[in-house]
Amino acid sequence: MKPFDYIVARTVPEAVAALSEHAGSARILAGGTDLLIELRRHSSRPPGVVVDVSRIEALRDISRDGDEIFLGPLTTHAELARSDIIRAGAPFLCSAAGAVGSPQIRNRGTLGGNIMNAAACADTVPPLIALGAVVTLASADGERDCHLSGFFSRPYATAARREELLTQVRFTALSPGARSAFVKLGRRNALSISRLSVAAVVATDAEGIVADARIVPGAAFGVWKRVMEAEHLLIGKLPSTALFADAGRLVADTMVRETGRRWSTDYKEPVIAALVRRALERCFAVND
Amino acid sequence: MDMTISFTLNGRPEQVEVPPHITLLDLLRDVLGLTGTKRGCEAGECGACTVLLDGRAVNSCLVPAPQVAGREVVTVEGLAPLGKLAPLQQAFIDHGAVQCGFCTPGILMSAKDLLDHTADPSQAKIREAIAGNLCRCTGYQQIVEAIEDAARRADAAE
Repeated sequence: MKPFDYIVARTVPEAVAALSEHAGSARILAGGTDLLIELRRHSSRPPGVVVDVSRIEALRDISRDGDEIFLGPLTTHAELARSDIIRAGAPFLCSAAGAVGSPQIRNRGTLGGNIMNAAACADTVPPLIALGAVVTLASADGERDCHLSGFFSRPYATAARREELLTQVRFTALSPGARSAFVKLGRRNALSISRLSVAAVVATDAEGIVADARIVPGAAFGVWKRVMEAEHLLIGKLPSTALFADAGRLVADTMVRETGRRWSTDYKEPVIAALVRRALERCFAVND
Repeated sequence: MDMTISFTLNGRPEQVEVPPHITLLDLLRDVLGLTGTKRGCEAGECGACTVLLDGRAVNSCLVPAPQVAGREVVTVEGLAPLGKLAPLQQAFIDHGAVQCGFCTPGILMSAKDLLDHTADPSQAKIREAIAGNLCRCTGYQQIVEAIEDAARRADAAE
């Protein structure tokens, strides 16, 4: 790797001061599983300085206060996958985190890095969008919140400024009766870049009729979004495989309409429909 | 500019002066001469470089050397500190789980992470634990059986 300077930030103020001072030439280092790959690419411009934020204890915590869950961005995918708080409040986020990379990658890669790198295949993002998550960004000028649903403009681009640091992710826990699932399709069992994925939440009322539905495909659209048309299709109806299949086809139609017919569409169109159906079925599966 | 990095390596304190842009893999092999850990893809996809960092399996090719300061690193050399093979290593030999041996150090460290944290792992759990390690020779079956056997031996020893 080409040489760079290295700053260890021990606190958020130290980190944002370093980012402000070196604006434009600083890269943030947390788990390093995306950054080091990028730094090794011959084509990438070497950073002037790497700001190591991995020692900032304040960015580590997972906590719950009432119905609100708060995640520190340094939470690793492994920690997310085995968190009792997340298993109780957003189980499909455990599934998604557990599907990232490999055990070695999950022991290092962080939630914050997954969000800020904003790869189209980032696995924790679809569940977080379905959860209506909000992120907090800190800089030398202060703090601001962003809804994750409006945070991404295109792959690898977020609304964060270069001198901002992600300091918190928060969302409202799913109600105890809500069911959620995350399914991922990749080319191998592990270390698979998501070819397509789906995060889904379904909540039913006392009669078993769908009262709430959220469907967020991954690696399907330019940026992540809830597919409202498919969600509305489900609401007020009794869950069934046929209904889920219809929802899947609607997601596929929406995808083709919005992203156009590309070389991959012949494959992605039937597959996203099937994955949506599978994710919705998995919400109702007894053992998963 | 070089940084001084103090950390624990295979149970012993270690201190090095290195430029910050080298990885833990470079540090182990090129600076400290511990070549048990292998250089494979250098992209976190093959697992040949797997070591334990604070008890957890990581790809050392993706860890900047400064990040191990104050932490504990265990490499394959640390499994048999006095030359006597650990039960895990003996199980690999007994089950024919080593052919060319290139993947072996990395797989041993992934297995050690599993065995240190999971009692009585199923074959499915074992396969999950080594999912980040590629082996081109064995077809994995002997490796999985060796790890299963090592878990049994560890449980029996308690």
